[in-house]
Amino acid sequence: MSVASSASPQRASLFERLTTPGRGWLTLPAIFFLLAVFIFPLVLIGLYSVNLLSNRFGVPTNFSLTNWDDFLPPGDNVFWDRFKSSMIITLLVSVLAVVAAYPVAYFLAFVARRRRYTLLLLILAPFFTSYLLRVIAWKVILSNNGVINSILWQLGVREHGDGVTWLIYSWFAVGLVLFYSWVPFVALPIYVVLENLDTRLLEAAQDLGAGRLRTFVRVTLPLSLPGVIAAFVFVLIPTTGEFIAPLLVGGPDSSMFGNAIQSFFQETPNWNYGAVLAMWLIAVVLVLVLLFGRFLSTDLRESKATT
Amino acid sequence: MERMDRRKFLGGAAVFGGGALLSACGGGAGSQGQPSATPTQETHPPIDQEPGTLNILEWPGYEAGGTKAQTYGMLAGTDYTKEFGTKGIKYTYIVNDTSAVNKARQNDFDVLHPCIENVQDYVNGGLVQPWDTSLLSSFGNLNPALTQRGVVNGQQYFVPWDWGYASILYRTDKVAPEDATGWELFWNEKYKGRISMWDGAQSNFEVAALYLGLPEMDNQTSDQVQQSKDALIEQKPLNKFYWQSTYSDMQPAFKAGDIWIAYSWQDGYVNMKAEGLAVEFMQPSQGKLGWVCGFMLGANTENYHHAHKYVESFINHKACIDLTNLFYYGSSDMTVQPSDVENKALAKKLNIGDPEALNSSDVNIQSWMPNEDEVALAWEEVSAA
Repeated sequence: MSVASSASPQRASLFERLTTPGRGWLTLPAIFFLLAVFIFPLVLIGLYSVNLLSNRFGVPTNFSLTNWDDFLPPGDNVFWDRFKSSMIITLLVSVLAVVAAYPVAYFLAFVARRRRYTLLLLILAPFFTSYLLRVIAWKVILSNNGVINSILWQLGVREHGDGVTWLIYSWFAVGLVLFYSWVPFVALPIYVVLENLDTRLLEAAQDLGAGRLRTFVRVTLPLSLPGVIAAFVFVLIPTTGEFIAPLLVGGPDSSMFGNAIQSFFQETPNWNYGAVLAMWLIAVVLVLVLLFGRFLSTDLRESKATT
Repeated sequence: MERMDRRKFLGGAAVFGGGALLSACGGGAGSQGQPSATPTQETHPPIDQEPGTLNILEWPGYEAGGTKAQTYGMLAGTDYTKEFGTKGIKYTYIVNDTSAVNKARQNDFDVLHPCIENVQDYVNGGLVQPWDTSLLSSFGNLNPALTQRGVVNGQQYFVPWDWGYASILYRTDKVAPEDATGWELFWNEKYKGRISMWDGAQSNFEVAALYLGLPEMDNQTSDQVQQSKDALIEQKPLNKFYWQSTYSDMQPAFKAGDIWIAYSWQDGYVNMKAEGLAVEFMQPSQGKLGWVCGFMLGANTENYHHAHKYVESFINHKACIDLTNLFYYGSSDMTVQPSDVENKALAKKLNIGDPEALNSSDVNIQSWMPNEDEVALAWEEVSAA
């Protein structure tokens, strides 16, 4: 046992934890699982990205950074441009989802009272069905003879048969579906923080003369920021690699970076270039996790303790 | 999503088409198949010593008759399942042509059902072995023009079975007749936002080649690939979307009026017409595209004779007639006559009862692209542009 480990057993090195009888070994299944299903495939993708593996017949494999050179700036590259446009839509969706989810979480935490869990269940109920089906359901709503256009026709706003064309197969449709998909999930971390907020602080603020708005801006919102940021990351990270919504409701110009990756692996034998895009996306997500990780790993209930 | 969707769609086609199952029309005759080198049978144990478990790489909808997976009432395969049962048959589904090759690299299949443009990929990868055509009693009925396309290195690696066309499906009430002349309709600015090309690399580069008048649509030089790519990028904004699935994407959008002009197989025409839409399946001035799919034999199969029996149960005369009546596709069986097709008007319109139809000069049969990697990358660039 090292001094460090004696002083702080929980901070023992990985080796020490693994070699400590009756304790460290318990982590081995998890470690093997991670190695097998995460690290190993990641290494394989990495090898593809530098051309040390190939999926094509008769193509020699040797270390090459050509695909990386081609993808990364400087220089024009359509996939890099697609990455940038995807990040913009991702950020936009993430911000909008958080803004929309906050009132929902607030309502559940402070207004719904005893009905909160019932309401929470109702909010999450659509998510008991497949994501794919929910996206397809939007096609029914947004298509040329879908629900919205039919209403417009009935109201005489538009001539029958002349639907609003940007409702579907557009960035609007992609953004809307992603927004819809994430709002309930985004509401959860915010709700957890608000739920555990020390309400005595709110009472104190009001006792000291703050109005409801001031109390919210000066007390509630700052204290709920860990949840807000966690929620933001909850949307941002998975949406970065999204490809289903653009595939189903996107137009030719609204495909995302994830579609390019999916397409390289699914539709072409050129896994090497697809691997470059995939590794880049992983790197971006890792940076995001490092940037926001502490909010994700923080026990959100600590917000109560720190107040 | 190349062939899957076409086949997947067939289910729908079959449903509203009545799911016709034909009565038997007698056996075929003739022996016009190309001679091929046949592997010696001595190297393979007799059928009763084989495991009898068939691992099959197949498109959804094309499972053998008699299996639970075959829900469209297809007759093909029934002879096999009656004789050997269904328990030993296992299907792995093809998502698209490229992923099918990838799957075949990673698994040993006994029978595979690729399309003709990928035959060379399977042979080059050592994934398949030649058929012994003497074990396929109906092989002699098959169209030699098609069977010849399945010969590689003098051996019959590919047994053609189903074929069809790809062209432009368009609304005659929305598209002016003078605009519906050929593949250039996809580039017509007048119909911006009402067009949907397929999300398929090879087919789109073939369409672009026909539009540009390139001499060989499946053998484009690098310069020509660049020209085709530029043309497709130019065309891209005119699309409402690139469709992935004819059944769940293209046809619902066509029916809904989101799109008026689409790349389509002939089943799309049949079904949109049945929906009451004023549609036409174009005969482009540059010619339609023609596709041919068929069977290949796994390189490491332990079910050599079972595999032959299985394929025979698909290429026999009755099964071929059923294929045409059920799915509106042609079969490679030369002995199928137009009179065998129940829907006479459709038979005439699509030439599906005419085994020589694909030999027509107005059909461009898809074939292997030697530079398919280059084309695939170029298509990805079009998609991301």
